[in-house]
Amino acid sequence: TGSGPRTAMAVAWRAAPRVAARLLLGRRGIASCIDPSTGLTEDQKEFQKVALDFAAKEMSPYMAEWDEKEIFPVEMMRKAAQLGFGGIYVKPDVGGSGLSRLDTSIIFEALSTGCASTTAYMSIHNMCVWMIDTFGNEEQRRRFCPSLCSMERFASYCLTEPGSGSDAASLLTSAQRKGDSYILNGSKAFISGGGDTDVYVVMCRTGGPGPKGISCLVLEKGTPGLSFGKKEKKVGWNSQPTRAVIFEDCVVPVGNRLGAEGQGFSIAMQGLNGGRINIASCSLGAAHASVLLAQEHLTVRKQFGEPLANNQYLQFRLAEMATRLLAARLMVRNAARALQDGREDAAVLCSMAKLFATDECFGICNQALQMHGGYGYLKDYAVQQFVRDIRVHQILEGTNEVMRMIVARNLLQG
Amino acid sequence: QAIDDDCNQTGQLLAAMLDWPQGTFASRVQLEDGAVRVEREVDGGLETLRLRLPAVLTADLRLNEPRYATLPNIMKAKKKPLEVIPAADLGVPGELPRLRVLQVQEPPARAGGEKVENVAALVEKLRHCGRI
Repeated sequence: TGSGPRTAMAVAWRAAPRVAARLLLGRRGIASCIDPSTGLTEDQKEFQKVALDFAAKEMSPYMAEWDEKEIFPVEMMRKAAQLGFGGIYVKPDVGGSGLSRLDTSIIFEALSTGCASTTAYMSIHNMCVWMIDTFGNEEQRRRFCPSLCSMERFASYCLTEPGSGSDAASLLTSAQRKGDSYILNGSKAFISGGGDTDVYVVMCRTGGPGPKGISCLVLEKGTPGLSFGKKEKKVGWNSQPTRAVIFEDCVVPVGNRLGAEGQGFSIAMQGLNGGRINIASCSLGAAHASVLLAQEHLTVRKQFGEPLANNQYLQFRLAEMATRLLAARLMVRNAARALQDGREDAAVLCSMAKLFATDECFGICNQALQMHGGYGYLKDYAVQQFVRDIRVHQILEGTNEVMRMIVARNLLQG
Repeated sequence: QAIDDDCNQTGQLLAAMLDWPQGTFASRVQLEDGAVRVEREVDGGLETLRLRLPAVLTADLRLNEPRYATLPNIMKAKKKPLEVIPAADLGVPGELPRLRVLQVQEPPARAGGEKVENVAALVEKLRHCGRI
């Protein structure tokens, strides 16, 4: 193979499905140190296989197009929902798959190898359905969950506002009780899926200041007074639209409130524990795919008369990337286990896992891009999209700075 | 091909016992009126047969794209009952198994080749060992 631009482009386009294929092959024969199926049960290996298969065939070939054209891949996600990916840890009686947090992490990690951005949206959707499933009453569960699990309808999570990001408890969107309804006023920022989704899980203030005054309301698109800002132009996550969500005297029935008044913040925080594991899992998938892309490139590309893979510096770099990937994966899976077992330290472990995995995996994808040389900077190559897509994982679901706050508090206030 | 002995004989045996036509290694199947057109993957390429129905077909992996397993189905699979039916209950006569493995051996190790001086010598050698 030559190494001119045309051959390189051909390699890039062909590389994406081949990477995913190698993720499958690696598990069947050659023992790879970063094989994501090690230590899993037979069932988990089956879930992973389906997710990797799906990612390779239904996502990987399209991730570049979705990014470039900013397409929200509704049809693909509905196909995924048919396999059970729309409500992975939601109870089966309302259409969910009833799987554990660890199963969920494995699945999102696998799907992310096909497209990190879309998988991240799917994880947000899953979190919203779980919230309704867990904190909603029977009527609410039956009203919302089935159509969300099948992704006939899509969900968005609304916590962040222009004036409150990390300081989430200071949110201002107000919900004034009036008879059988709440009148909602305010706005939310950076809402994933905003404007294109159907169901909005909104944290708003029904009581006094601080976390105890916050409640959780569910709104549907089409509610009078509900409007959206312009579609944001982002560095990555382009397969999901991001918009501000604006409430102007929206009338929301009291029957749309999840849990009790004042329970909203607790619901939000519990949702975020799982959300952090899921986002971290998306970073893991992207990093794994990037390591394989780098590995491929090192064997194919020659300089100074030899494949790059003969260069000890690059060998060492690749080894470091693999080591960090495995460490990150173990942290995420450890946190998932703690959460599903209801352990006391689950929340702080989720924060540590999110912090570590999103930071390390971004570094891994970035390294992989560097190893590609100039080609790594071209959009013909998947690696730059993984870098751009997972960069934001260090920011949302709680910034990595907030993650440090949570860990420090655990260490110093215990 | 059976997953235990890999013998590739069940479909063929069945067709012979039923005296039905057979289309094995099918990579493409088209139903027609009272017949089926079967494209087969054979060593030399593709062979198309037209078989009167009823017929016995065996599938090659190129016949279709398997569906994805759904998560609920994967979980149900573990709980599916595995029913063991004694052969006698199905009216299979005689003692089973009917095949006894006598010996399993590796093929002979590949011996080194031989270099010859010229084309004439090559032709003579090939003639000598009965290849031409």
